[in-house]
This record gives sequence, C-alpha cells and structure tokens, in this order.
Amino acid sequence: MLKKIAIEKISQLAAVLMEKGTLLAPVKEVSGHNFAEIKDPKQVDLDFYNTIMSPKGAFFPHKEDFVKYKIGKPLSEVEPAVLNLKPAFLFGVRPCDVKSFEIMDIHFDAAGIIDPYWRFRREATTIFGYAYDLSQPVDSADFYNTLGIYAADPEGSDIFMVKKDKELLLKAITKKGENLLPELTVLKDGITADEKYFTEYVNKGKEYKTRFMTLDQEVVAKKLEDIFDNTDFWTKMSAACLSCGICTFVCPTCYCFDICDDTLFGKGTRRRVWDACMFTDFTLEASGHNPRTQVYQRLRQKICHKYSYHIRKYGVISCVGCGRCTRHCPVNIDIYSIVEAALKA
Amino acid sequence: MTDFKKIEENLKTESRRLLKEGLVTVVLAYGKGFDENHPMPYAAKTIADVDSIVFNEYCNYNMARYLVRYPQGTKIAIAVKAADSRAVIQLIQEEKVKRENLVILGIPVQGMKNPKTGEVIDSKTTCGMYNPVLYDILLGEEVHGVKSASPYDVLAEYEKMDKDARWEFWKGQLDKCIRCYACRKACPMCYCDPCFIDQSKPKWADKEPQSPGNMMYHLTRFHHLAGRCIDCGECSRACPVDIPLYLFHKKVAKECEEMFNQQAGMSIEDKPVLVDFRVEDSDKILE
Repeated sequence: MLKKIAIEKISQLAAVLMEKGTLLAPVKEVSGHNFAEIKDPKQVDLDFYNTIMSPKGAFFPHKEDFVKYKIGKPLSEVEPAVLNLKPAFLFGVRPCDVKSFEIMDIHFDAAGIIDPYWRFRREATTIFGYAYDLSQPVDSADFYNTLGIYAADPEGSDIFMVKKDKELLLKAITKKGENLLPELTVLKDGITADEKYFTEYVNKGKEYKTRFMTLDQEVVAKKLEDIFDNTDFWTKMSAACLSCGICTFVCPTCYCFDICDDTLFGKGTRRRVWDACMFTDFTLEASGHNPRTQVYQRLRQKICHKYSYHIRKYGVISCVGCGRCTRHCPVNIDIYSIVEAALKA
Repeated sequence: MTDFKKIEENLKTESRRLLKEGLVTVVLAYGKGFDENHPMPYAAKTIADVDSIVFNEYCNYNMARYLVRYPQGTKIAIAVKAADSRAVIQLIQEEKVKRENLVILGIPVQGMKNPKTGEVIDSKTTCGMYNPVLYDILLGEEVHGVKSASPYDVLAEYEKMDKDARWEFWKGQLDKCIRCYACRKACPMCYCDPCFIDQSKPKWADKEPQSPGNMMYHLTRFHHLAGRCIDCGECSRACPVDIPLYLFHKKVAKECEEMFNQQAGMSIEDKPVLVDFRVEDSDKILE
C-alpha cells in the first residue's frame, strides 16, 4: 500500500497523528534538528540531514523516573512512575537509525532481561522511516554502508517514506504500518508511477555511497582482542580524546545508564540517567579503586565494546555508521578511522 | 600573514629539530583527521610522527588543554596561537607547568575557522588576538595592522538585560545542556581532579540533564574560571547544543579587568587575580 502527500502539507499529516497519540518528529533547534514531542503541527521539519541526538531517546529517555519514595516509610507507599502508553509515532527516522533499534532490542528485550519501559514504548510506537535525500551529498562522517545499511533501506520501519520532488511517498512495510496507513485520511492514494518511483528509489539508495571498508565481524572482533594490550596503539588513538560524553550521548546504540537517587528533605525519586564509559567516574568502584583511570583505557573500552565484545556476545556490531560520534566530536576523533587503523595494527 | 602551508612547514621543521636534538620528548600540535577539514589535536613523539603534522584554518584547538596530561618535568614543545599562549601563561602562573620545561612554538594567525560551522573565529567568541603573547620560536610573521573588535563588544546585548532577564536567559540556555561535560574537558583551565561535579561525597548536583543540576554545574564552573579564563572559546565550540558559554566568561573577565586592571594569562610575572592581594585593589564589590 502506497500513499502520498505534498511536503508543504506535512503539518496536516502531523495534526492527524497528534489526534491519534504522541508524535515525535524532527524539529529545528538553534544548533540543528532534534526529535521532539510535537505540540504544534507546524513544528515538524523534514528539511534535515540527520538529527544531532539519535532517536533512541524516544524509547530510552535521557532521564527516566522509576519511583517516588519517602525515607522511613514502608515500601507499600512507594509510588511507581506511570508510563504514558498512548500510541506514539516516531516520524522521519533515517534508515541507519531504524537499524539501531534492532540492536538496542537485544539489550532491553531479547537478552533475557526485559525492560518494560523500553518494550512498552516500542510496542506503542509506529516508526516512520525516511530515506536520505539522494540528491544531496553524503556527509563525510557517515559510514553506514560499512555496516551493510543503505540510504533508502525500508527494513525495520513500519511505514517508509521517500521524497519525490515536492511530495512525500509513504509505503506500509509491516502489519502495523498497513493498519495505520488507511486511517490517515489526509493522504492521497499513490499511482503506479509512484510505486515505480519508490522501488527505484530504494534500489538507488544502494548506489548512494558513504565511506566503506570490508568488515568481517570475526576478523575485527579477533583483531581487537589481539591488540588489547598494545598500549602504544591505544595511546596514540586517544591522544586527542578529551574524554567527554558527546560520542556516547549522540550514539544510537550506546545504552549505558546509571541509577540515581535524588533525595531532598526525606523525599526522593529513583531514576535512570544516561551514563558514558568516557567519564572518569563511570568505573569508579566503592572501594575507591578505578580500573580505567586513563583516557586510552576508556576509548579502548568504547571501541572494543562496539566492535569486539558485542560481536562475541550477541553476534552483531553495535554500530550503525550514522556518523554522529565523528560529526559532533569536539576534536574530530573518528571511530571509522580507529577501526581501520586497528585492522592494520 | 604567513600562509598556512608555510606555517605548517615551519612547524614540521622545528618539531623535527627539537625531537632530534632531544630538547623535547613530545610536540603538541595538529595532526591529520579523517579529512582535510577535520584536523585533530596531535602529539608527535618521534621524528616519523612529525610527518602527520598539519596546519590549516581548521586547527582551532587549544593544545594547552593537553599539557597537564604529561607528568611534571616532561619536556614539551607546544604549538600555540594567540589565545592558546595565554592559556600556557596562565598554567605557568598556576604552577601546573614550568616555563623551563616548555618550548613554545608561536603561531601568529588570523582567519581560523570552526570546522563544524565553517564560521571565522573572531573576537565574538574569543579574545580576538592574532599574535601569541609568549613564545620561544615564532613560526610566521606577526600580524599587524589588522583591526580587531574588542572581545567585549559582543556583551552589549547581554549587558542591556537586567538581573531577572539574565537569570531567565541562562535558565533557558542551561536547560539545553545534556551534561556531556565537553566544555570542561575542552577547557585548558579545567584541570581539577576530581571535578566537583564528579564527586559523590558530598554530591553537589544530580546527574540528570536538567535544572537545578545543570545550573549548579555551569554556575560553579563559570565562577571557578573567574580571572582565569583566557577567552579561547573552546568551551563554546565543543558544546554540541550551542550554549553561548563565552558570554558569561567574557562578562566575568571584563569585570576582573575593570576591578583589578589585569587580564588572565598575559604575563608569567602576574598572579591570578583571585589569589593575589594588592592594597590598591578595587573595593567595588564591597560597596
């Protein structure tokens, strides 16, 4: 099923989705675009390359309250946070980011421990994937081709969207998408030519080249294990690293968090907050010992986790090549170059 | 001004010589990044490493940030532009590095660009100087006769705001903060170990990216830098959400200059204003 709408009428589609539930879509902010809950349909802006922050926050917010409590009161008086389970629509997600949800599902759903917050949000959400604009140049930081992802891959989206001149074509990919699409009455039916355009666009996406290297999972996992002790290599790779948290916060597949108690005058909230392996206190133990005091140890952990341990444990690389970590690094550290150098080390 | 290619050549020649003669064990300069527009801070430790040194208009990093990473006593050569040299001076004043352990390679330059936005970096976000204040070897001709706006001009709008408006302004700006701490990590003067915000006993602020934790972090950091910020603008360039941190630092720097008649990092003979006492110091703050 294929539908379409003029891009200038996108706010009408937004309004329909807002009536049905919560709409999360790209919004232009001072420093660039980010996904945000839409309050005014006019806010939705599809004129973006990719967002600064990844869309992981839609399912795994930067901060998530679990319970409110009072010190000295029995456990029965604890108030668990109530999840807003209205249907949600995550609109305009790039194909590489769509892929990241699958990787994150491993940790929050499939690896034996079910995180209800992640799962419920995932179940309630319909994902509108959005192909990169193939007429625009690719950003030099991107390398999703290396991870086997292409600029117009519909896989993983419930509904996939491509731009056709001044129109947006929407095609249902999953059952969820097929159920929703006919309900969006502002959309017009696509014609045969649109179908053809859509299929061709998806194929053309394969020709839209990002940086590419042949990456054999087994080889890279083994290589990183072998050079774990090569301190010279890691020191060199991390010479510029400031050890800030930007790369992990913008990353769609970084999932580390900290559980914090925020207590004042006997009343408190227990919540989960994103944490980053690049922070000094990330590995600080209660004894005062810290196994990763050096910057090179922390950068090594980040690279090895994504490109070695994750393969060994779950069979996939924990990276989708979206290029955010490289693009937003204040000192231009490039994970792609580090992996490339590691393979040659 | 000497062109970028020539400066790069001089930088390489001097680095090779210093390493070869054993005068230094490391040269802090700029190296190749993933493409030409994205060079990186770089530490050359061997003569072969020097081949990867580059210098172009995107080499805006303040290498003084990396000085405190090396054990005291390490002989270091450091490439500095104008503001960066002030950071080196400030670090010498604060006894984090010793003058005799440094070979300062001065780069007089104008028209540096922010690799993220392509914007020219000028007195809006930095001190707007072109020539290094302190150096041992100059890698190009000093820039003279180019007019530069006062680094405090950008404050005009900000100073029009009253106290309440300023509070609202900063509340709005600091609400954007995602607490990645890139600002403090990019700052050459932020070397506390541990930083107060990382402490858990006492815990000064919560970890989540919202007020009042964001306020606590930034306002404390702002004031820790009073009289010490040398206005290189690295914090603002590092910020992924574009918080104009430079505004606060410039405002405090301006007040320090008015009260104590001293700019941070201008002479190794000075003491940081807030650890120094002079009878003639301003009493304005007590009035």
